Amino acid sequence: MNSARPHPAWVPWVFIAPFVVIFGTFAVWPLLRSLQLAFEQTCGAQTHVFVGLKNFRYLVLDPMFWQAMGNTILFTVGTVAVQVPLALGLALLLNRPDLRGRAVFRLIFFSPSLIGMVFVAMLFSPLLEKRTGLVNIWLHALLPAWNIEFAWLETYSMTALILASVWMGAGFMMVYFLAALQHVPRELTDAASIDGAGPWQRFWHVVLPEIRPVVGLMTLLAAVGSMQLFDLPYLLLGETGGLNGRGLTIVMYLYQTGFTVGDLGYASAIGWVLALLLIGLALVQRRLARRTRED
Amino acid sequence: MSPRPGDRASLTSRLLIYGLLVVFGLMTLLPFIWMLCASIKTKGDFYTSQFLPPGHGFLGVAWDRLTLSQFAQLFRDLPVARAMLNSVFLASVCSVVATLCCAAGGYGLAKFRFRGRETVTSAILGTVVVPTALLLGPSFETLFHLGLVDHYAGFILPTLAPAFGLYLFRQAMVNSVPPDIIEAARIDGCGEIRIFFQIVLPIIRPMLSAFLVISFIGIWNNFITPQIVLQSPERYPLSVAIFSLRGLYGDDNSLIMAGTLVAIAPVMLLFLLLQREFISGLTSGAVKG
Amino acid sequence: MSSARFASSRALSPGIWIILLLAVVSTTGVLLMPAPERGGAVLWTFIDYNGKNYASILAAWNRAHPDTRLQAKVIEYAALQRRMLTGFFSGTPTADLLEVERSIANRAFIGPLDRVGFVDLTDYLRADGLTDEIAPAVYTPWSSRGRIFGIPIGFHPVLLAYRADLVEAAGIDVSQIETWDDFFRLLRPLMFDRNGDGQPDRYLLSGWNNNPNTIDILLLQADAQLFDPAGRPTLDTPRNAEILARLVSWFAGPNRIAADASDFTFAGNRQRLEGYVVATFMPDWLAGSWRKDLTPLAGKVKLMPLPAWERGGRRTSAWGGTMIGIAKSAPRPAEKWELVKMLYFSRELAETNFNEFLIVSPLRRHHHLPMYDRPDPYFCGQPVGRLYLDQENNVPTRPSSPYTQEALRLALDVLGTLKQHAEATGRYDAASLEPLAHQLLAEAQRSLLRQIARNPFLLAAP
Repeated sequence: MNSARPHPAWVPWVFIAPFVVIFGTFAVWPLLRSLQLAFEQTCGAQTHVFVGLKNFRYLVLDPMFWQAMGNTILFTVGTVAVQVPLALGLALLLNRPDLRGRAVFRLIFFSPSLIGMVFVAMLFSPLLEKRTGLVNIWLHALLPAWNIEFAWLETYSMTALILASVWMGAGFMMVYFLAALQHVPRELTDAASIDGAGPWQRFWHVVLPEIRPVVGLMTLLAAVGSMQLFDLPYLLLGETGGLNGRGLTIVMYLYQTGFTVGDLGYASAIGWVLALLLIGLALVQRRLARRTRED
Repeated sequence: MSPRPGDRASLTSRLLIYGLLVVFGLMTLLPFIWMLCASIKTKGDFYTSQFLPPGHGFLGVAWDRLTLSQFAQLFRDLPVARAMLNSVFLASVCSVVATLCCAAGGYGLAKFRFRGRETVTSAILGTVVVPTALLLGPSFETLFHLGLVDHYAGFILPTLAPAFGLYLFRQAMVNSVPPDIIEAARIDGCGEIRIFFQIVLPIIRPMLSAFLVISFIGIWNNFITPQIVLQSPERYPLSVAIFSLRGLYGDDNSLIMAGTLVAIAPVMLLFLLLQREFISGLTSGAVKG
Repeated sequence: MSSARFASSRALSPGIWIILLLAVVSTTGVLLMPAPERGGAVLWTFIDYNGKNYASILAAWNRAHPDTRLQAKVIEYAALQRRMLTGFFSGTPTADLLEVERSIANRAFIGPLDRVGFVDLTDYLRADGLTDEIAPAVYTPWSSRGRIFGIPIGFHPVLLAYRADLVEAAGIDVSQIETWDDFFRLLRPLMFDRNGDGQPDRYLLSGWNNNPNTIDILLLQADAQLFDPAGRPTLDTPRNAEILARLVSWFAGPNRIAADASDFTFAGNRQRLEGYVVATFMPDWLAGSWRKDLTPLAGKVKLMPLPAWERGGRRTSAWGGTMIGIAKSAPRPAEKWELVKMLYFSRELAETNFNEFLIVSPLRRHHHLPMYDRPDPYFCGQPVGRLYLDQENNVPTRPSSPYTQEALRLALDVLGTLKQHAEATGRYDAASLEPLAHQLLAEAQRSLLRQIARNPFLLAAP
């Protein structure tokens, strides 16, 4: 920096020191520790032995882990597949220039995302009950063929979780899409209209490319969040993920092994596999984003 | 402005749009309405009616059967008031200090050149995608070695340095704080700390309040960390205290819904008050960046 | 400089102000709150009524022993489990005394014996001559590798509660029932389709193939043990295969007699009131909970011993259980042992537990108490306490392995697969399902052994 009075060398450290000290103690240190734990067999914090790659070898053949992985991927794909189009659709509806009450609708759609998972779980558990739950009663009233004993929580756990999480998350995503849509220059869509493009073509060829970075980013964030799903099934279905582990997710399995069984070593191994998966997701998204930018 | 094609849609399509919005809006609001009704019904009426109990009163509702006794029970017989205080305390203190920490850290990393800057930055930003669950066990161990288990500090300290917050503030500093202003202030003889508080923070004000509200809500809704770290019932935040109702009063859904309502109402209220600055601050980073 | 000052006057937006204000006010509030009462021993319990129950016993004790005071803290079930286990695993102190449920307690037995978080009570019991106070089978859920870590609040024998009004109106004499086959044959006329939708509106038994409690009760009753006395899993025994294969027809096919009326939910209770199910597995504590919560059934329910799997077979089982234990982190364990004796061996607790909750004491010294012979109008004047106590020596031995829930889960999976297979092939008879049951149980056994083999600390594992 070419300043008249250069700042002393310690100045930046004053600003970053609080963050760095806390981050080092409560993030970096535990992270290193978890790396060490992944190669240990533990039984609580006090009993541990080094076992090399045993945890990872066990994990490859662990049916519970793969069940949890399958459930989590199902949930992630399901949530993203429902939530992104829904949020985009709502944002497009709200983006019409002559719409009245946009602020009110935006507020309504956004409101569920303010509620914590723990409260969503408490709210949805009576709503999804078998014969007394509102969801079944209404579906039965709308479609008489609907079985009022439909076991959302016992049998269709993942459907129930996707339902609850879409209810929570769609409005949050929509707010971002709406902001992105409002940044799309009017000239572009107008020009397309003059060229005779219909609404669908305008959306597909003009609007979508403009908002693609935001859609990509939000999809990544939703996927990363969904892969770490824990509170909702833990509270809604119980610690073991409900009947036959149908709602067991990776983080639940990690929690169960680490805190209920006391095997922090194996839990760390699971955690590192998940971390690598998430890093992979982020890298893929970055590469895709870069490619679109180069186009 | 002359009318453009697409601006004035036909009546049918406008009706369709409003219809869709109203349907989705109702679907979004229904659980809230249901919860509100459930919380003022008696335990006996809970299952006999979906919303308000039917009767001979106005609109066919038995208004006289509604009750606020659940709320009275929460605040009089159950430690919900104390939990509310704990929640407000934890959420406000954590969010204020975390915002300051992240803003200062982001400023330090964005606006200064010094040895080790790249290392520190990439070390912090690299952990954004690390699943929080991975750290649950070792963090508990760390807290235990520091003697912070079952202390407010054991919950507060680890929340003060979120990597994502640092990322947001570093972006905000790069994007909206011009280096010339800082240089000019230095030439004026302004101290470094004063520059940060009096010049830099006001510029990134929208980011400040948005992040403050985001952290507040995040901490308010946090369930698993306080479950593990705060062990005495007198330190429970609302998330833990209200969830505990399910174990002891599992059959009293009206009470549980009243508790849930009490726990989400303050956040809703805060959001209603601040929604404009909140939503714009929330989206500014992602949409521009 | 002027520009800087101008900016800072607007620096704080309303949001920042509000949150800052909240921070200041709440911090003051938290600082002003009185510190929680310390001193004396602490008991963590998950049952609210126990907290209240103890109140009078504790108050009397605390008056008499101001130096060794005890206070009870009620903590939600899941939170108590998490708290106890994190404490045990990390070596952080927990409460001095812990009152925990069976499935939580056995989680503590996963490590080496000397690292179990509970104090080993075997020698205390022996020194005080209390070992024979409780039947040996009653201790097994609370023991690991031969050492006793907790005192149970009861032994929870299971009887069968049935709708006496419906059964007697149909002129059925339950005294002729000795086996499950008798039960189904004699009561079958009660199952018919009243509203003509092609489905029976009444079933004989409340329970379901995916309900761990139902299956646990029935397996225990049949001596289909999932573990041997040393704690090794024994999933793939001929008896287990036989019982699981026989159970399929209870839940599926033309002879289905069971229906899923879940416990403790409004929906389930409403079904009970409507007479959707005739009989229910009824441990002593559930009888107490029915008497309290299902008042419309008063005078309509009777208890009988469970029908046996074979003639001369066991007529009871066990469901549930709570123990009290001393945390190893507690200072002066001998003093805490006195507190345990005061609570769990007192006549007062035996009386409240029975009078309020129908839980019969596991202590032989109380079994002569006249309250157990008192007729109970809720159960049509039956001497409820005696009916339960009569089963004391028939209660099955229950495993305490930390893998108990896992083994049961695997057994439920096997049963579920058998049921699907039966529905697909249309053959529900035990004989044709047994080979498949064998095969599935052998797989389950291998999977459980693999899991246990990972744990080098549990010495009893092979």
